[in-house]
Amino acid sequence: MSRAAKIIYHVARVVLGLTFLYAGLIKSEDVTTFAGQVANYKILPYSWNFVVAASVPYVEMIAGFLLLINRRVRPAALVCIGMLVVFMILLGSVILRGLDIDCGCFKPGGQGTSAWVAMGRDAGLLLLSGLVYALRGRFH
Amino acid sequence: MDWERERILLEAFLIVCVGVMLGLSFNFQAVFHAFDLERNAPPPLTSPSEAFPLPADLATTRSLLDEGALAVDARLPEDFAAGHVPQARSLPWADVEAALPAFLNEVPRSRPLLLYCSGFGCSDSFDLGQRLIREGYQTVYVFEDGFPAWEAAGLSISREAQ
Repeated sequence: MSRAAKIIYHVARVVLGLTFLYAGLIKSEDVTTFAGQVANYKILPYSWNFVVAASVPYVEMIAGFLLLINRRVRPAALVCIGMLVVFMILLGSVILRGLDIDCGCFKPGGQGTSAWVAMGRDAGLLLLSGLVYALRGRFH
Repeated sequence: MDWERERILLEAFLIVCVGVMLGLSFNFQAVFHAFDLERNAPPPLTSPSEAFPLPADLATTRSLLDEGALAVDARLPEDFAAGHVPQARSLPWADVEAALPAFLNEVPRSRPLLLYCSGFGCSDSFDLGQRLIREGYQTVYVFEDGFPAWEAAGLSISREAQ
């Protein structure tokens, strides 16, 4: 792998890792509020919003941490890809249904982020995840 | 190569499993509380997704109130008198049958409602929310952290009895 590709790989890995670690940490601090944001998507039954709100931040944190320490990078990137695809499908459904809700991507109860902005951000992160997954494969 | 793919998939699956287990362990109380509320709720008359009030956090609560939602206090009248969210209306769950007719007459079904009681240990606002949805209210939220969180946030409180 060329030096440039290595730099791109490490930058993408660290950015992705920090983003997921931060997103997970900040949401894990207030699960009830995050559950409210999940409920705003109007997809799950009442109590399952809490199951999702309790679980997703920890999956994000583990994936982000593994990316940061450069261990189990491809599985962690794959988890990120899977989560981002699900997030984007959900955001698409929000746009189609015309719901005006905060995406719940980062700080629960924070400033509202529209579905279109969140979709664009997730697309960028998906690109980074794919890049990390593919470039890591070229190391070994 | 196939073995490598399988390993990656398996490890990704393990990451998800460990994350879910950790999340559920650390937040057991909140998740258990939510299931408990749903399990002990009276059977819905409409479809299940419509029968449950939406949970609201403090920021959502404030923004709903700013937008004209009516705060509804589900606690006992003496708790309401001791301090409540400004402009809130008392509708104690413990005495709902007596207080509900006047509420139904005076509050239009289209008005968004924001219900609260005494926080996590209290299910009155949730139960009241379900009842009000069955009575035809279209937008019903429950501020799950309740009055203690409102008070702790230093927000203004009205103390005069209704």
